[in-house]
Amino acid sequence: MIELSDVSYTYPHTVQEALHRLSLVLEKGRCIMVTGPSGAGKTTLCLAACGILNHEYGGKKTGLVTINGKNVADYAGLSDIARTIGIVFDDAEAQMIFTTVEEEILSALEYRGLSPEEVERRLGEIMEVTFLSALKDRSPHNLSGGQKQRVALAATLALGNDVLILDEPTSELDEHATRRIVEILSNLKREGKTLLIVEHKFDYFNEIVDTLVVLEHGSISAIGPANDVLKDLRIRNMVIPDFSGIKNNTTALVRPSGALPAISVRNLSYSYGDVPALHDLSLSISAGEFVAIVGENGSGKTTLVRQFNRLLTPTAGDVVIHGRNTQDCTITALAHDVGLVFQNPDHMFFADTVKDEIAFGLDNLGLGNQEVTIDAALEEVGLLHTKTLYPRWLSRGERQRLAIACVVAMQPKIIVLDEPTTGLDGEEARLVMEILRNHQKKGHTVVVITHNRDIARYCADRIITMDQGRVIADMPRGE
Amino acid sequence: MAEILQYVHKDGFFHRLTPLTKILFIILIAVICVFATGIPFLLFVVAVLLLLAYISHLYRELLQQLRLVLVMSAIFIVITVLTMPNGAILGNLIPHGVPLIGGAIPITTGGIAVGIVLALRFIVLIFAFQLFLISTQPRDLVHAMDHLHMPVDYILMFVIALRFIPTLQIEGKRIHEAQLARGYNPGTGLLGKIRSVTPIVVPLVSNALLRSNVLGLTIDMRGYRTGTRTRVRERRLTSEDYLMVGVIAISSAVFAVVAFIAPSLIY
Repeated sequence: MIELSDVSYTYPHTVQEALHRLSLVLEKGRCIMVTGPSGAGKTTLCLAACGILNHEYGGKKTGLVTINGKNVADYAGLSDIARTIGIVFDDAEAQMIFTTVEEEILSALEYRGLSPEEVERRLGEIMEVTFLSALKDRSPHNLSGGQKQRVALAATLALGNDVLILDEPTSELDEHATRRIVEILSNLKREGKTLLIVEHKFDYFNEIVDTLVVLEHGSISAIGPANDVLKDLRIRNMVIPDFSGIKNNTTALVRPSGALPAISVRNLSYSYGDVPALHDLSLSISAGEFVAIVGENGSGKTTLVRQFNRLLTPTAGDVVIHGRNTQDCTITALAHDVGLVFQNPDHMFFADTVKDEIAFGLDNLGLGNQEVTIDAALEEVGLLHTKTLYPRWLSRGERQRLAIACVVAMQPKIIVLDEPTTGLDGEEARLVMEILRNHQKKGHTVVVITHNRDIARYCADRIITMDQGRVIADMPRGE
Repeated sequence: MAEILQYVHKDGFFHRLTPLTKILFIILIAVICVFATGIPFLLFVVAVLLLLAYISHLYRELLQQLRLVLVMSAIFIVITVLTMPNGAILGNLIPHGVPLIGGAIPITTGGIAVGIVLALRFIVLIFAFQLFLISTQPRDLVHAMDHLHMPVDYILMFVIALRFIPTLQIEGKRIHEAQLARGYNPGTGLLGKIRSVTPIVVPLVSNALLRSNVLGLTIDMRGYRTGTRTRVRERRLTSEDYLMVGVIAISSAVFAVVAFIAPSLIY
């Protein structure tokens, strides 16, 4: 169906090739999963396969891409290619065009030359298989990240194309929702659809993947049936994150003395307007602990950690950080104690260089713009060589590590991270967790929100499970 | 968060009207705003709009924008007082006692009156436009334009731009929070304030540009604007449309006649 032969591509205004002499054949009815480190060219491969590079982007391209045996350049344009290929991009929010979920999907169905009855039938069917019926009148911008991803997928499914290209369709989904997506894709495959999926969650997709492709530096470094590809240990660690050994290494753990807990939450309730998010929640985290907070989308994890540095103020109850009630502190004062790394690193970068980006936090806290501190923070996350680069040029994995460096450099005693491994491959994810573990060894308290059960199991001393704004399980280390 | 100019999913009188009827309504209101300068008459139009919002169950949504509308009105009045002195002098912004510039900037009845008229026109336009936007889905608007064989692209572009206001609002809030967590504090003084905008605006604009690229590609790859459209769930003219069109026609006629024979009521 789609064939790439010897494709190389360089984006405009850049020198390095994003794809290098890449050849790949996607046969009808097959499912290819593409994985690899961030910045390896996975998204570029998606853009190449559906002709977007040819029709919409400048830059230098060589090689040939054909869809159904026809050169992509010979198609009249993207609208022409869109009759055969449907693509879901990784930014779900940008794909919400209309004002309700139903309108979004209906609009996609209208231009397919179907009869009105057929349109209605397919609309109902798609709403049902993607479990969106209950959300049909909701406005897209009010949905959660995971729900948006489902709507974007549904609108593309509505097109009824034979080929689907999906760029990280489950990055913001919890376990349960990811399984749903895999189930949907599995059914589509059975119907004979052809799938090209960029993903990091191999464990979930294993059952439907025919060919596993590992992309590195714009070239394919391994390709074949998953079992064969994963025999190579280096590749295996990249595809399936291996966090083992991170936790065992705790003999050198320094436990700061002092009776005060790092974080103490007492009978905390919080509501967004009329919508309750946290109910009478109490917990205590000791200094030097490594805690994982797990739970489904919308269970209140992010709402909880935002109370730690007073981005949100409790509706009822107290949050006490190192003995000080947050209600008596300013956000800036709390920034000395609690460092919060958000899920999307791009929400913070604005400076011209990596160095200035880190200096911003130091200046704000009056810690002095010390070259030594900046170098140490960059060294720790392995980014010293990027010191003079523009932060947004870095790959997703590097940006994530830079976000951590920005917060770590400020030397907060408590460091809180919201989904720090989103969009990272196995090795990058392990690297991030090792950085955090090292930090813990120096006496810092680490709190990580994650959907990844392995991170919780292998890295944390304690796992707190949340559901509907409550703590439903709190398991200490070793259990 | 107060959502600016966003479609609200409801079933009310205004929601049931076809977009064409609503466009006709907007045109009438716009024409009225251009010609009418009488304060009592403009107040009457505001009252009519509020009544329409009330029977369409959109009263609350309309009043959510009241703060914006009042702030803008105040600004209009200040500007006209400063720039269009006319009529009786009520007082001076700078008292006579002040040396050299004492007695400057008179506050005049004329200035205030012009300001109030401008503000009322603004309120009428904003309210009418808002009624239209919060009750009309882009899909229906596209169909209506299509019926008239009018280019839909520009309309669609405009509606989609509005649709992204809340996205930017939410994004801006998240960026602000991310910077607060890094100890960011907005500077003091004018220069400080301007400088402190950078950490918020730069990520906001960079992310929005990336997003608009994906949005454009999505529109193309979903195949809108290609092939023939299946005519499904189209809005048909209902008795309510005929009623509204009738009211619009009669209002226009009455407005024209009154403007001719008793202009003092309007001007």
